Amino acid sequence: MTMVNQQALNGGCCEESRRAEFSRRQVLAAMGMGAAAVGLGPLLSPGISFAATPWTGDTIVLLSLRGGFDGLNAVAPVNDPNYQALRPGIKVPVGSALRLDSRFGLHPALGDLKPLWDSGKIGFVHATGLAEPNRSHFEAMEEIERAAPGSSLRTGWLGRTLGMHTSSGAFNSVQVGWSEVPRSLAGAPPVLAMSRLQDVNLSGADNTDRRASWSRALTALHSTAPSDLRTAAATTLGALNTAARLQDDDSLNDSSVDYPNTDTGRALKDIARIIKADIGARVITLDVGNWDMHVDLGRIDGGWMYDSFRDLGGSLAAFAADLGDVLNRTTLVTLSEFGRRAEENESNGVDHGWGNVMMVLGGHVRSGSVLGTWPGLRDVDLADGDLRATTDYRAVLADVLSNRTGASVADVRSVFPGFTGATMGVTTQ
Amino acid sequence: MTTAPAKPFLTAPKKPPLTAPPKPKAAPPVLPRVSAVSAYATTDAAWHLLRRAAYGPSPADVADVRRLGYAGWVDQQLTPAKITDTACDAILTRLPSQSEPIWHVKDLLDTGRRNGWEQTVNVSSHHVARALWSKRQLLTVMEDFWGNHFNVTTPGSETTESRAHYSHTIRVRALGRFADLLRATSMHPSMLTYLGNRYSEDTHPNENQGRELLELHTVGVDAGYTETDVINAARVLTGLSVNYESGDYQYKPWYHWVGPVQVMGWKHQNPSETGGQDVAVSLFAYLARHPATATFICRKLAVRFVSDNPPASFVAALAKTYLANDTAIAPVIRQILMSQQFAISAGAKTWRPLDQYVSTMRLLGATITDEGFDGPQGLWYMAGSAGHTLFGAPFPTGHDDVASGWTSTSTTLARWNSLRTLSHGWWPDFKRPELRARLVGTTVPATHGDLVDAIARKLFGRTMSSAHTAAALGLIDQLPANPLRDDSGALNWRLADLVSVMLDSPYHVMR
Repeated sequence: MTMVNQQALNGGCCEESRRAEFSRRQVLAAMGMGAAAVGLGPLLSPGISFAATPWTGDTIVLLSLRGGFDGLNAVAPVNDPNYQALRPGIKVPVGSALRLDSRFGLHPALGDLKPLWDSGKIGFVHATGLAEPNRSHFEAMEEIERAAPGSSLRTGWLGRTLGMHTSSGAFNSVQVGWSEVPRSLAGAPPVLAMSRLQDVNLSGADNTDRRASWSRALTALHSTAPSDLRTAAATTLGALNTAARLQDDDSLNDSSVDYPNTDTGRALKDIARIIKADIGARVITLDVGNWDMHVDLGRIDGGWMYDSFRDLGGSLAAFAADLGDVLNRTTLVTLSEFGRRAEENESNGVDHGWGNVMMVLGGHVRSGSVLGTWPGLRDVDLADGDLRATTDYRAVLADVLSNRTGASVADVRSVFPGFTGATMGVTTQ
Repeated sequence: MTTAPAKPFLTAPKKPPLTAPPKPKAAPPVLPRVSAVSAYATTDAAWHLLRRAAYGPSPADVADVRRLGYAGWVDQQLTPAKITDTACDAILTRLPSQSEPIWHVKDLLDTGRRNGWEQTVNVSSHHVARALWSKRQLLTVMEDFWGNHFNVTTPGSETTESRAHYSHTIRVRALGRFADLLRATSMHPSMLTYLGNRYSEDTHPNENQGRELLELHTVGVDAGYTETDVINAARVLTGLSVNYESGDYQYKPWYHWVGPVQVMGWKHQNPSETGGQDVAVSLFAYLARHPATATFICRKLAVRFVSDNPPASFVAALAKTYLANDTAIAPVIRQILMSQQFAISAGAKTWRPLDQYVSTMRLLGATITDEGFDGPQGLWYMAGSAGHTLFGAPFPTGHDDVASGWTSTSTTLARWNSLRTLSHGWWPDFKRPELRARLVGTTVPATHGDLVDAIARKLFGRTMSSAHTAAALGLIDQLPANPLRDDSGALNWRLADLVSVMLDSPYHVMR
């Protein structure tokens, strides 16, 4: 057990970032052990008094890009001379960018997303973020996931969203790739958290017969227990059977789709299985870290940023291909605690910033042009050197909730208390 | 909910008056009559007591309760300084002491002479080792209780050098007066860092700690305070900070907000920057003695020890004791453990994962390995997989201690897998007796049903119902009436699975 890998994992970055990551995510990983399933449980009451209704919407996948994603290089304003001037060493040159519209181009390492853009499956909203800048990883993550500034709510926005609906099973809310439940799901009905789908098993009960034998014994032992314990046992045994079925069911496995052999690729493959199996998944969360690129992020054609973009783009493209028609009942949205400073630093890196790009992938997405109000990159346009967030990130999330989960105006207000802005129009009904 | 009499069902033996005849010698220890709310719970008074006021019964502790008597054991636990704890103390010498000054730890960390990750893990290792092996069981239970009440999420940002000292700070006050505990935790670098007060300045007071002081630490969210009270509490706290160089507590007058302040019924002119610390101390003293704090703290204690929904009348009686004893904690706990309400509550509580794993290892007779600290560290890690990282709740609220927080699918599955791992002894490393020697002994029970009865008495302090006995044996393809032999699978290669499925049952979840 050492902290040796901390620096490497976080790119040798600042103390604050290292510690934020340390506390949030490295605790168990640092011990070098595979994480099993964790549930946060209903630690916090959702605090919502609406009559609970069934869920009729898409499966919402929240992909959190932890560490501060560089939206300025992912969806680059390549035709803006200020962009080219601010980032002489790391910029996306006009000639290398994959054209999105008259202003923006994709980083070439995200090339796998271009066909999705061309076919209208992915949309981008630029210059989004918290209403006020917060350049602390820890605080910004907390605030962006709580999504209730000016209130003392302790729940997260997905927790409040799920709390409005009657529960229908163990797979309603799922965290994949890491066993710690994110802040956004605080207050949700119990979350099924897993590193991998294959970890949802009972050790020793590894075939149908053994599973049935354990199941019989555990069911009978709980037969006279109070309902909460009895239900917990029954639900867990059901989830074990479901997870086993998902892994054995070849029809859920499209072998023609090649996911990158990475944490992100493997997690999205599990998520696709869960969605395709149609077992009531409403919200699935996935964390993808390693974006805090202060130092040595590389160049346009190689290095840390290039590799990370390749992984992300390739994984998302494989996910969309794997889902096929099921993408029509899926909406994936990316969120990062902040963007990066407009100007590159002297260490071949970018420091903490504010405005950022959000990506929305699904079957009912508006593409064609990059959405949002572009604030510009002239000195006077920047906020302490950062791209401004002209669109409150909640406008994008509210859009997804109202168009893709059937949330009413009142529902959206209760999920995002105090948010009165217009929704973004990045999805359609 | 019926109103509960808060009257004690047992009273401490009174000191005889000087003129009275000599006390009859060797009065038999008194054990109360316990009744259970669940068909899964034992009504053995010693077991009931040890499942609530300790990390579960070990045979040695059960013997202690029977020897000292119920009240005698409670009173001994409430004065932990009088308990000899040499065996556990010896184990803890393998780790750095938690009473090391913060500046010293910071110096070691800054100069690379101590590893930050190990420093952090040791906070938990210390606690888990004491939970497993300390004779001061109730004190360790209370350290966990207050550690969650005054949660400082561990591991956390910038608290590496102070977090062990924070545990020490809580531990030495855990059975003292709440007023002292509140002041010590509120002014500790760990808390001041965790809630950001160390950077709170008069120009922009950070409301975090001011809010939690009222909402979580003292009067509770329903006490009727206003946002203005929160802002004023935050103003009062400005200046309570941390020395950047040493990491120790420092009052910084230049940060302090000056001017009249009012929080609920408390007022202060707060006229100077230099006087700010005394103003804060005055507010802590007021809040600790507020009737709403008495109710809030006593209800939480009743939830910890008695049931998830303790009757209001019971809480009110405890609050009266709390106020009458100037916020002393021990008399409240004594009243709880001696109450009728407690005696009729066997089975009303649910083990949280870490507590359940610790109690499992106590039942199985685990001791520390000759070297290292793998056992306690492993249990800590294991509980994290069930959502119960010690002092690791990701919010200032700390971990819940009610059943609804611990019945999710993820937690249930993690429990089952971990109990299987512990039964088989796959991991983590302890020095431990063979399962058969520990749970069955040298005689061979006549039937498989007799075997399950024998194991159940060791694990649950009672036998299981006949239906449950049959269910457990079903896992290993046996019937209760089947005869047992020395070489039967149930006594050998199937024993760990049998124990494991028994531990998965509500007999080992409900306490």
